[in-house]
Amino acid sequence: MKKFLIGILFIIIAFFAIDRFGGIAMEWVNQHTHDDIAPKMKHLFSDVKEEVLFMGTSRSNCHYVPSIISDSLGKSVYNGGIDASNNIYAHYLVLNHVLNVHKPKLICLEVLDNDYEKRENPFETITFFAPYFGHNEAADSLFHLAGTYWKYKFSHLYRYNAKSVSNVAGLMASVGKETPDGYLPCPRPQHHPAVLAHKRTSTEVDSLKLAHVQKFIDLCHQNEIKLVFTVSPMYIKVDTCHYDILKAIANRNGIPFLDYHTNGMFQDSPEFFYDATHLCDEGARAYSVFFVRDLKRVLEGCEL
Amino acid sequence: MLFNSISFLLFFPLVCVLYFCIPASWQRVRNLWLLLTSYYFYMSWNPKYALLMLTSTAITYFAALGISHFAQRREKRLCLVVGLVLNLSILGLFKYYNFLASNIESALQTCGLAIDLPGFGYLLPVGISFYIFQALGYSIDVYRGTTKAETDFPTYALFVSFFPQLVAGPIERSNNLLPQFKQQHRFDYESAMAGIKLMAWGYFMKLVLADRCALYVDAVFNNIANHSGGSYLVASLLFPFQIYGDFAGYSFIAIGTARILGFRLMDNFNRPYFAATIREFWHRWHISLSTWFKDYVYIPLGGDRVGQMRNYFNLLVTFVVSGIWHGANWTFFCWGALHGILLCIEKALGIGAKKYSGVEKLLHWCGTFVLVCLAWVLFRARTVADAITVVSGIFTDLSVPSIDFANLVGVGLAMILLLTKEFVEERKSDMRVTQARHSFFDHIKVALLMAIIMLFGVLGGDQFIYFQF
Repeated sequence: MKKFLIGILFIIIAFFAIDRFGGIAMEWVNQHTHDDIAPKMKHLFSDVKEEVLFMGTSRSNCHYVPSIISDSLGKSVYNGGIDASNNIYAHYLVLNHVLNVHKPKLICLEVLDNDYEKRENPFETITFFAPYFGHNEAADSLFHLAGTYWKYKFSHLYRYNAKSVSNVAGLMASVGKETPDGYLPCPRPQHHPAVLAHKRTSTEVDSLKLAHVQKFIDLCHQNEIKLVFTVSPMYIKVDTCHYDILKAIANRNGIPFLDYHTNGMFQDSPEFFYDATHLCDEGARAYSVFFVRDLKRVLEGCEL
Repeated sequence: MLFNSISFLLFFPLVCVLYFCIPASWQRVRNLWLLLTSYYFYMSWNPKYALLMLTSTAITYFAALGISHFAQRREKRLCLVVGLVLNLSILGLFKYYNFLASNIESALQTCGLAIDLPGFGYLLPVGISFYIFQALGYSIDVYRGTTKAETDFPTYALFVSFFPQLVAGPIERSNNLLPQFKQQHRFDYESAMAGIKLMAWGYFMKLVLADRCALYVDAVFNNIANHSGGSYLVASLLFPFQIYGDFAGYSFIAIGTARILGFRLMDNFNRPYFAATIREFWHRWHISLSTWFKDYVYIPLGGDRVGQMRNYFNLLVTFVVSGIWHGANWTFFCWGALHGILLCIEKALGIGAKKYSGVEKLLHWCGTFVLVCLAWVLFRARTVADAITVVSGIFTDLSVPSIDFANLVGVGLAMILLLTKEFVEERKSDMRVTQARHSFFDHIKVALLMAIIMLFGVLGGDQFIYFQF
């Protein structure tokens, strides 16, 4: 039994040694990979210096063309939307990391119903950000909420689990398709979405998500960052009250809310869509022109 | 409770520590502890279904006592038949009733009779086919006189419910496992280390290989209409590795946990994809089930000691029954039948009658692998029509597959590790993971596997495929 216990102890020590050295190696991989997310995270968390920052999920990523917006505003613009980052927890986490290195003048946050609705596994996608565990206390507090904090403390390799194969694959070949300003154009699809489905508004509200929407707003206010909420077009019909909960929060905090979804923008132009929730490049360019015109209007009188 | 869950990683060390705290001479108390924990393990899915297992255990226990009690062959046979019928009725009701009812309804409907048969609304209990087959094997062994009837009910109940192999095998034989419950098991360093190595390898196969393959395979097979030939081909090539990693991974963990406790379960897999013939494949794949069917179905039917045509018939029946054992679906029927037909063709052509080497072996190996992969399509597809769509798509519509390159890299790395290990084992049989040779490097290997699982494992706690059987 004694020999066995020594053997187990040796395995545990060896595991921790491999885990810690592996963690260092994976950190290097994460910094040098050309996969779909890591280079953007690296830019946002270490190198970001643009005055206007777009944040949100893949809908932000694919809908806002920084060159168009930058030309019109006369400011540097970066599209910091991250694929599948899913909800406010991820955006709040990203914002905390961004503020470690830079204070943008304006943030346009693409919001979704997923930022207030109760859903299964609401913390699933923050695992993407685990490689940056330990870099920012406020961001790490989300891992406490998700219940993964101690797992990341225990294993440094586990921090890279969600994106490990993507990181390694990105070392072998560049799989990221983003432009240097963070915009990810969706290609023109073989078939545009055909059916305009109607999505009902959920009545189940997640109060923790709403608390983080407020935290996001407060953090911007504390850092004197102008904040705008936006909802870009979708090929899905919704009730006019669909974003009322988020609009109420925006209203209370004096935040402009540009909603292009409930009013059905582009819903008579399916050729602008890649799928029901994403515009194709052509649609994104058309939308960006509309958007920046309205943005300039709501920012009138504001010093950026 | 899943082997790949945190609760099992807490449950198992606790079981071990208390098991070895009980003096080895108190074997009965140890058995009672294992029985208690085995029922707890099973009840963590659905407590009600433990009653079903207890019923099956009681039926075969008393049937075996009856067989050994009576002297007349006729009475012995009656006890056996009653035990078999009752157990198979339980299996039939839970596993096959709804399938049969819907097929009878469809058949009658084509004859113009619209009859609505009542449905059976209970879910299939986890592992029912495994423990019922193990209990049936025991009854038949007692009837044949190869095993003595167990008089101690808790010991017999433990034989049926022993948690490492309860829900997905290996389907143990009474003459291997039952006597081990009577032996004193002192803690053995070599066995415990072999067990840990087996468990680590099993977890790697399940979490890194199988579950990563599943990400692609499930996306394609669960949504056939949205994919084309290229995707079908990639999914059909990945599924053999998914099911191997899933099932062999489970078996390695099962054998490893039992080994730590001092029990030796039978090997269930022996590098099946290195088989050069279909016959050899079945000597290497799910060994405990294929030998069960050989001993209790194929040989009683006459095996190969009959005329050629009758032998083919026996093979076909055995494999069709084996297919249906996996599930109540025509896909499993066709999968079993296809393997039976392939075996008959092999036999008729004399394939595998001699030992192959060199290029000849390589060609046979390739041919066998392709045939096994094609058969797996039937196994994985949700309907026979889906399977036909997939196979015809592969041959007629070989467009560029939609592939997540990153996931493919992960699968590729896992496959390289698996195939390298198996290739080395195939060349040098003393290098097997079950060999009791433990050195400094073995400890490092276990630690390395743990690290690989942490980094590349799909740690979402997915079910094992064979639990549904």
